[in-house]
Amino acid sequence: MKILVCIKQVPDMEAKFKIDGAGTWYARTDLAWRMNEYDEYAVEQAIQLKEQEQEADITVLCIGGEQVKETIKKALAMGCDRAVHVAMEAVSSLEPLQIAGIIAEFARDQGFALIFTGMQSQDRGSGQVGLLVAEFLTLPAVSTVVEFAYEAGMATVRRELEGGTRACVKVATPAVITCQLGLNSPRYPTLPNIMKAKKKELRTIPAGELLKVAPRQETAKLFFPEKRGGGEVLEGEIGELADRVIQILKEKTTVLS
Amino acid sequence: MEFTREIYWNVGRSWWTLLPMYLLAAAAIGLLIYGMRQRLKIYRQGLPLVRTDQWRWRLGNFLAALLLQKKVVRPAWPGLLHGFFFWGFVLLFIGTTLIVIQADFTEPLFDLIFLRGTFYKIFSLTLDLAGLLCLVMLGVLLVRRYFFPPAGLQSTPEHGLMFALLFAILVSGFVIEGARMAVTELGTPLAPWSPVGLLTARLLLWMGEGGLLALHKVTWWFHLLLVVVFLTLIPRTRFRHLFTTSSNAFFADLGPKGKLVSLDMDNEEAESYGTSRIDQMTWKDIFDTDACTLCQRCQDRCPAFATGKPLSPMQVISQLGEAAVSRPGDDLPATVGREALWACTTCRACEEICPATIEHVAKIVGMRRSLVLMEGEFPGDEVMAAMEATEVNGNPLGSAFAGRGDWAAALGVKPLAEDADVDILYFVGCYASFDQRNIAVARSFVELCRAAGIKPGILGKEERCCGEPMRKMGNEYLYQTLAGENIAAINRYPVKRIVTSCPHCYNTLAKDYRDLGLIAEVVPHTLFLAELLASGRLRLAAADFTCTYHDSCYLGRHNDIYEPPRQLIRAAGGTLVEMAKNRADAFCCGAGGGRILAEEKSGTRISHQRLEMAAATGAGELLSNCPFCLTMFVDGVKGADLEGHLRPRDIAEVLAERLEHGSDVAPMDTTSGGKQ
Repeated sequence: MKILVCIKQVPDMEAKFKIDGAGTWYARTDLAWRMNEYDEYAVEQAIQLKEQEQEADITVLCIGGEQVKETIKKALAMGCDRAVHVAMEAVSSLEPLQIAGIIAEFARDQGFALIFTGMQSQDRGSGQVGLLVAEFLTLPAVSTVVEFAYEAGMATVRRELEGGTRACVKVATPAVITCQLGLNSPRYPTLPNIMKAKKKELRTIPAGELLKVAPRQETAKLFFPEKRGGGEVLEGEIGELADRVIQILKEKTTVLS
Repeated sequence: MEFTREIYWNVGRSWWTLLPMYLLAAAAIGLLIYGMRQRLKIYRQGLPLVRTDQWRWRLGNFLAALLLQKKVVRPAWPGLLHGFFFWGFVLLFIGTTLIVIQADFTEPLFDLIFLRGTFYKIFSLTLDLAGLLCLVMLGVLLVRRYFFPPAGLQSTPEHGLMFALLFAILVSGFVIEGARMAVTELGTPLAPWSPVGLLTARLLLWMGEGGLLALHKVTWWFHLLLVVVFLTLIPRTRFRHLFTTSSNAFFADLGPKGKLVSLDMDNEEAESYGTSRIDQMTWKDIFDTDACTLCQRCQDRCPAFATGKPLSPMQVISQLGEAAVSRPGDDLPATVGREALWACTTCRACEEICPATIEHVAKIVGMRRSLVLMEGEFPGDEVMAAMEATEVNGNPLGSAFAGRGDWAAALGVKPLAEDADVDILYFVGCYASFDQRNIAVARSFVELCRAAGIKPGILGKEERCCGEPMRKMGNEYLYQTLAGENIAAINRYPVKRIVTSCPHCYNTLAKDYRDLGLIAEVVPHTLFLAELLASGRLRLAAADFTCTYHDSCYLGRHNDIYEPPRQLIRAAGGTLVEMAKNRADAFCCGAGGGRILAEEKSGTRISHQRLEMAAATGAGELLSNCPFCLTMFVDGVKGADLEGHLRPRDIAEVLAERLEHGSDVAPMDTTSGGKQ
């Protein structure tokens, strides 16, 4: 059983973001980089599936410059078997359709029974890549998965829907799964696995070989939202204050409805 | 008359006496040696470790621990009971040896009798009183153990056997003496030189000469038999502490105090890290378990145990010992219990008091290493998140690494990358860099430096967490990664002197980083400030206040720095009201050993217990020297309902408030190269 996990390296969200010189993306200076949170769930789920289906083989794929190798190594240390680094420095210039195109181009005819991706990336957050990969490969896709079980070619998953409801979906493999928070708790790599990861196969493919999709979108401008008015400080008697708070909550929120 | 006695009186010096006696003695010693060799096999399961270097120094430690009972008599109660018993027993041993030398060597070979005259009188009186001392001490110890046992003291049948045997040996000794004196010495001028023997003789007088002779002979052989049993039991009961506990002082870790062994991370052949099985410990770790006498002094001082957590340092040592003896294949973290392992704050209270020189903390960290490095386990998700945050941003708080020096910008303190011409490198640490409460401490420290004409520089965004909490939690890999980055950053600049305001950073840089290539001198801020004060560079306008002072574990027990912080407090006009547990006996705040990263889920809060001790002094201020302590106390005063009654602060903050702002403030010194 072959499994593909697609991961992305993103900046840590605690950083102070600045707009880059072109004004179309964030500047890369002074950022700390890590694996996209949702992709960690994808990696973890793939490894758990391998632990269940002993003969499975997990390939992890990441698109980006030289520095994404650090994130790839983490996935290998967690338990992926081999890695593909699609090399491209200016990866942020690609739109989701192109990213999906690259992945699909790589995955086509490789016989992956399952493709796991995060449900979205923490930086761009388009939530499209996994589903577009499925579309390119004409595979079924289930998004925002929070529970996953697999038995004999059939995946039984639960999806998270609006308002906390869930849907149970059964899908025959091959299929694409996009992973949501709550699916699992990603493991901490053990030291022997970190050591082993250094020796695992890491194949680099220039993005040009796989990028066959022309762009259809253009990011015109990236900007911080305008600052709206700050908080309102209420002063007065406690009873009166409470009444005013209730009034505000009724007018401006739905918590009391 | 000649003051002496016939050694084989009544039992006779024929081969009928000597042969069985020599055979029994030889058998006893043979069984003793055989038994100790069997114990050696247990220790040999462990990995090699050199603990015989600097042997003269070690020998001194050994003799001080053994003959002076240096560690045992601290605390005096009940330590002195053991001390006096030991000293009495040593005198009896010397006395018996002298008898053997005379009766079996010098007299038959050279006709030399030295137990005579005044020497014999002193000999007789000394042994008599030594025996009495032993009996009394043993009696008090027995009453303590069986009638007024301290909480938690466990007594096994083995204890009963040991008491019975020692009592029997001492009492039978006096019976032999009494019976002999009743027949030969009563009424002579020699009798008062054995007061206890004299009393026994008078008590036995009713038996008449025939009865006394029979009693003497039977008791003589019985006494001999008891001693033989005693010798053979040494390796087979806790009597072995005679050898193991005393020699463990010889094998002590000669320091630096509490420094952990750095794991070799480059060895790609290594298949396991940390300790999960007995054969992954060193022989000394196993020997430690045999040196333990279950005195429970460690348990009585353990902050985790005191707050109802499932950790007792004594139990850990016992469990490891049992595994080493009977179940060497056991998974040690499971044997000891994960909750117990995670509960340790590495405060060192156990090691500091242990009369057997046992190294508890390194064993616990060794097992944590196995859990973290081999299993990827942590005490909770919050700890794993802190580890991951540190991997990404170099601090467990998860703050953006690039903002690490932001606090200093307004003060004009620059990173070395911008200006490396400084007097000291201030290694700020994570809490003073990112935590609002502790940033105030960093500001105070910078103000004090400025006032003393010291120009500090920082690493800013080049600084990472020192790695101490990660290392103590068992994450040696992350620790060494962070340490490597810090050392590389420091070595990029001509740094001669590093000052820390966190004792965890201090301990780590000053001791642990030495293995990884840090050369610069490292000083904790309290020592540095005390130095500035003593040299007159730092001038304070003292203003009276009353406070209590909390010795952080890593400045105190781990580095023995107790007085300089107190000098600073006094210089600021402070009147110190000490807590009952201070200096080496100080009670941890609960944040050491990486616990700062973990939620305290079991038992009551360690910080609350310490805050109650501080509140009991009646002083309104609680001064400390550690950002972890300060954080625990600031959070703790709310939970312990002491807000408004107790104000936790760092010493530097109090000093900064009392800076003398006069015309004679020392000018900023930008020329000196660092060292004062």
